[in-house]
Amino acid sequence: MIDANFILNSLTKTFPNDILEPSIESDKRISSYVNTDAIFDVCKHMLDNLECNHLSCECGVDYPDRNELEVVYHIASYEHPVVITLKVKLPRDDPVIESIVPVYWNANWYERETYELYGIMYKNHPDLKPLLLMDEMLGDWPLRKDYEGFPNKTSKNLV
Amino acid sequence: MDTNIGPSEMLMHLGPQHAIQPGPYLLDLRLKGELVVDAELKMGYIHKGIEKILENKTYLQGITITDRICYLAAMSNNEVFCGCVERLVGIEPPERSQYIRVIMEELSRIQSHLLGLGEFSTDLGFVTMFLYMIREREEILDLIDTVTGSRITQTYLRFGGVREDFPEGYEQKVMSVLNDLEKKLDQHEDLYNTDSIYRQRTVGVGTLTKEVATELGVAGPPLRATGVKFDVRKDDPYLVYDDLDFKVCTQKKGDIFARIKVRIDEIHESVYIIKQSFDQMPQGPLFPEGTPYGRRTPVMRVPPGEVFYRVEDPRGEMGMYMISDGSDTPYRVKIRGPVYPTMQALPPLILNTYVADVAAIAASMDGCTSEADR
Repeated sequence: MIDANFILNSLTKTFPNDILEPSIESDKRISSYVNTDAIFDVCKHMLDNLECNHLSCECGVDYPDRNELEVVYHIASYEHPVVITLKVKLPRDDPVIESIVPVYWNANWYERETYELYGIMYKNHPDLKPLLLMDEMLGDWPLRKDYEGFPNKTSKNLV
Repeated sequence: MDTNIGPSEMLMHLGPQHAIQPGPYLLDLRLKGELVVDAELKMGYIHKGIEKILENKTYLQGITITDRICYLAAMSNNEVFCGCVERLVGIEPPERSQYIRVIMEELSRIQSHLLGLGEFSTDLGFVTMFLYMIREREEILDLIDTVTGSRITQTYLRFGGVREDFPEGYEQKVMSVLNDLEKKLDQHEDLYNTDSIYRQRTVGVGTLTKEVATELGVAGPPLRATGVKFDVRKDDPYLVYDDLDFKVCTQKKGDIFARIKVRIDEIHESVYIIKQSFDQMPQGPLFPEGTPYGRRTPVMRVPPGEVFYRVEDPRGEMGMYMISDGSDTPYRVKIRGPVYPTMQALPPLILNTYVADVAAIAASMDGCTSEADR
């Protein structure tokens, strides 16, 4: 039976140096930080050995105070109710991370969206280009906290 | 998509404005004869920036914004937002409120499925069915309207409870409408099943297998039509779904016919849930006692923390990830809509099908561009 404890034990045993500050929030929620270089292997391990076959969500979060961006993965499963939250810290001026599209196919659009909204670069992504925004807005990174937004940028693309 | 076209190939734009689409998206198709050999979906025509807007609104104002994520599932969008805040604050709605929420969300599911079936039928040219479905849906919308005061964007849920209690005699009213609906729905199902053209266009068309569906990350009726028993109400229960008896409707074949069958079955199942909820619903307060919720509308400060909460939307798994920094507005809200992965799975699904079937397959996934773009 795969439950929160089992998953956390397996992760900390397989990646003793890469799983940082793991915590069990409830019997259905686990949260942990992961080293930037290890995220691909951790995801692959979870898909292959822990039945975590459903990437529920992937998103970015901006922390200008710490000069960091975070990429947050919510990995769930069709077999068991545990949702694992993995977080990766990236430097705000050069955020580069390995893409997990080869592991979870549906990460494709999530990563394209995170890229255009936060400027996080995904290595080995099959087709990294804007998804929702117009091409002219690329480079504005509108979901970062220091985005000027309305009204300063409103007329920029209309002229 | 590779736009270099070979011999006897052509490129075709389906959209962004097209009569068969539920909202604007651009589907680029590369056709060889009548066969689709390559497809690409382009989004973003109605991107509203809801995640950014929510960061700049107070928590209470945010409920109104979440209505606008998807115009068919305002109730479950409210639920996912209010649920996140309730978990951060650490309150739980009283039992009566939870049952009211379940009833309203199931009514909302019924009307969403009815419109989904109707839109799908129009795309097949089965316009009679569209009119039937819209007629039945209007009755359900009237029921929702009686309690919430509006048909589509209800803003009905509040943190720790619901805005209004049911009016006098509401149970009888709901029961008479639902009993009527079940009878009519059986007739409509017969109409579907006995129509030979309908069967030709849906049986064995647009088939998703179990393996492919889970790999593509699909959820909701398209996934359950392939035989995977995944339903957040059962797997990760919220509200009082644990105390209610219902089954997860599945089919085996995974084609269009199966998806429609799953939706029809789910309407019957929702009716069953609503009947049980009325029987089990206790009397009592709408908001937790000894808290300010419901008595006034304070400037709420939510304790710092983060939460990921998911519910079963009519179209699949709906999740929300919320981070609070202790102020009166959320620090970050990520909306994980159910339609987003469904839309993403569309291009691989229509490969090697006939272009005439593309509309039927796209409509059977019950997409909502408004929600995918947010």
